[in-house]
Amino acid sequence: MSRYIIRRLISVIPTLLGVTFVIFMFQRLIPGDPAVAMLGEHATEENVQRIREQFGLNRPLFLDRDALANGDLRGFFDTQYLRYLGRLVRLDLGNSIHRRIPVAETLAIRFPATIELALLSMTIAILVGIPVGIASASRRNTLLDGTTMIGSLVGVSMPIFWLGLMEIMLFSVFLQWLPSGGRLSTGIEVEAITNLVLFDSLITGNIPAFIDAFKHIILPALALATIPTAIIARMTRSSILDVLQEDYIRTANAKGLAERVVLFRHALKNAFLPVITIIGIQTGTLLAGAVLTETIFSWPGIGKWVYDSILARDYPIVQGGTLLIAIIFVVVNLLVDISYAVLDPRIRYD
Amino acid sequence: MAEITPDEIGVVDFAVREHRSLWLDAWRRLVSSNTARLGMVVVMIFVFSATYAHFFWVYDAKTDLDYSLKLKPPNLFPTEEIAEPHYFGTDKLGRDIFRRTVHGGWNSLRVGIVAVSISMFIGVVLGILAGFYESMRITYMEKIVLMVLIALALGSLSAWIARQPIQALLFGALGAVSVIFENFQKGKPIRTVIFALVGILLGAISGMLVSPMVALVCGAWGALVGVVISLSLGGKFFSNIVMRFMDIILSFPAYLLAIAIVAFLGPGLEKGMIAIGVVGIPVYARLARSAVLSVSQKEYVLAAQSVGESHSRIMVRHVFPNILSPIIIQATMGLAAAILSAAALGFLGLGAIPPEPEWGSMLGDSYKYLSSGAWWAVVFPGLAIVFSVLGFNLLGDGLRDALDPKMRV
Repeated sequence: MSRYIIRRLISVIPTLLGVTFVIFMFQRLIPGDPAVAMLGEHATEENVQRIREQFGLNRPLFLDRDALANGDLRGFFDTQYLRYLGRLVRLDLGNSIHRRIPVAETLAIRFPATIELALLSMTIAILVGIPVGIASASRRNTLLDGTTMIGSLVGVSMPIFWLGLMEIMLFSVFLQWLPSGGRLSTGIEVEAITNLVLFDSLITGNIPAFIDAFKHIILPALALATIPTAIIARMTRSSILDVLQEDYIRTANAKGLAERVVLFRHALKNAFLPVITIIGIQTGTLLAGAVLTETIFSWPGIGKWVYDSILARDYPIVQGGTLLIAIIFVVVNLLVDISYAVLDPRIRYD
Repeated sequence: MAEITPDEIGVVDFAVREHRSLWLDAWRRLVSSNTARLGMVVVMIFVFSATYAHFFWVYDAKTDLDYSLKLKPPNLFPTEEIAEPHYFGTDKLGRDIFRRTVHGGWNSLRVGIVAVSISMFIGVVLGILAGFYESMRITYMEKIVLMVLIALALGSLSAWIARQPIQALLFGALGAVSVIFENFQKGKPIRTVIFALVGILLGAISGMLVSPMVALVCGAWGALVGVVISLSLGGKFFSNIVMRFMDIILSFPAYLLAIAIVAFLGPGLEKGMIAIGVVGIPVYARLARSAVLSVSQKEYVLAAQSVGESHSRIMVRHVFPNILSPIIIQATMGLAAAILSAAALGFLGLGAIPPEPEWGSMLGDSYKYLSSGAWWAVVFPGLAIVFSVLGFNLLGDGLRDALDPKMRV
């Protein structure tokens, strides 16, 4: 077991290196000189040159063979990509081009908004998806089963940005019950402790702010929860049906146990393994930022931020945000794999 | 006692039973399922209307503009004000949404087919190669090719540093040598040491011609190359490289990677197709690899091997046809996913270039008017997306049941 975990941990290193490489290449290959982008179109040639030197943009991309030929081993490794890696190790993601504040700082403020939304959506998805899956598996081939399966297929087929628009249309425009976007109404302040507004307003006892925050988050959370709910329900159902065909279930049935006991005591435990996996992967996807949902609901998370920065050509943000998202994705997948090995002793990896 | 004929007791005479192929069987299962039939009907309506509109219903998006009809709600019959019926209403430029929705189908269909073809072709080829060589012993010639390629790839770094293309070729030759002397008598550790030494010599001697420092670095790198090619790598190594590469693509969330690729290539429907296609490659590679891994242990593959068929022939004739069903299922579902992704890109303004009709960009154009009550401009293109995607998903679900009876639940 521990050998498997160590091997799996080591296998993350080349993946992460590859991720940094791809992100680095994207920024360098995108048309336009970053130095000009930093200074604006009207910068003088001297200033551009100065910025290039300051940020090492005049250095070669990966390895400097000219420096090495002159006997300079340090200069050989003093290149853009390796400098970039060095900065990453020091958690320095650079400054935003337009607002000139450190990317890492803004990420730390923006990311909790995404976490909050993702966690709430996942909670909704689990609370709805698993019971629905269990119900339709235990009443297989009934009207209920058929309806939920078609329903979940519709859920998977739904463009969430459109669903979000429909929610806004119904609840914000026609019924006017809920706000159509943002995280808090203007004028309402919450003391920032964790930057999770729901949590912060609760522990500071700020009930009006909590209600306001909840009103803002519920529509995007529902929209975002649609696909995970559908996937979790389908997975729960098919996994339970798989387990119900096992011998030990037949034994339990044969010795006359109530159907309810067989389902909840015997079948569920084993059926939950693939469900947990799918929950993990979906959580990774949600944490990775829901660009579309965040855009529609003006939710100040990282997805919308990265997207806005792509349009504004603010590449340090794109680079930093994408890197964070990719790392979260890789780490969540790693945790899912490891938890799988821990939870299911039958699985042995060589 | 009366004589009993086989007909009377309903015995099936297997010798004269009607011949049914695997695919015909699957087809029968498919059309007997309600959901699959529904899916087929939806897909057919979608494909037919899109194709018909593209070829026979003339529409020039560039000249379609009428401010007097701006944001009119749907009207089923001509009125005094509005001469023509607009079943889905009109958008902010007074364009008929029904017409644009039907025409938009052609673009979605195109994106779906092209994107899925890109990811399916590259993914399946990579997946078959990876899975096949992971489970098969590779032949002598294949091993030479693999080692030469690895040595060339690694050696070219040293050659690039020293500006001596010839060095890469020397390393390549060293790779071939490592296969020829695979069963070195003195044992593995000695073999590794010898190859490391040869590597140092290859890198350092030619590096000396440039400068001592270059010789040092090239020598160190050469030692590493020597150690790697002395390891007698096999198909497992090749498969690992391919799959790690797929992992890197998979470690980006699909939407974000597609957006990044489009940001890099520039907006446009064709760029979107490429982006969505590239993002989808790992799914097919993983699927094909795992299917090949299970197929390659089957008796018919062993039989083909034992009669001496070449690896490429086994892959094409025996392995590929037997992994087709999961790939067909995935491709159908993939069409649905590609249409969704294309709509998402279009919505963000990174898809089709206006005024080209495309469902996602139609939504992106109109959603700002939702607060002023223009629901029709958002509802209908969205419904078109939902129904076409649902159609492909239903069909894919039915195909899964039809093609793979084992997976039926």
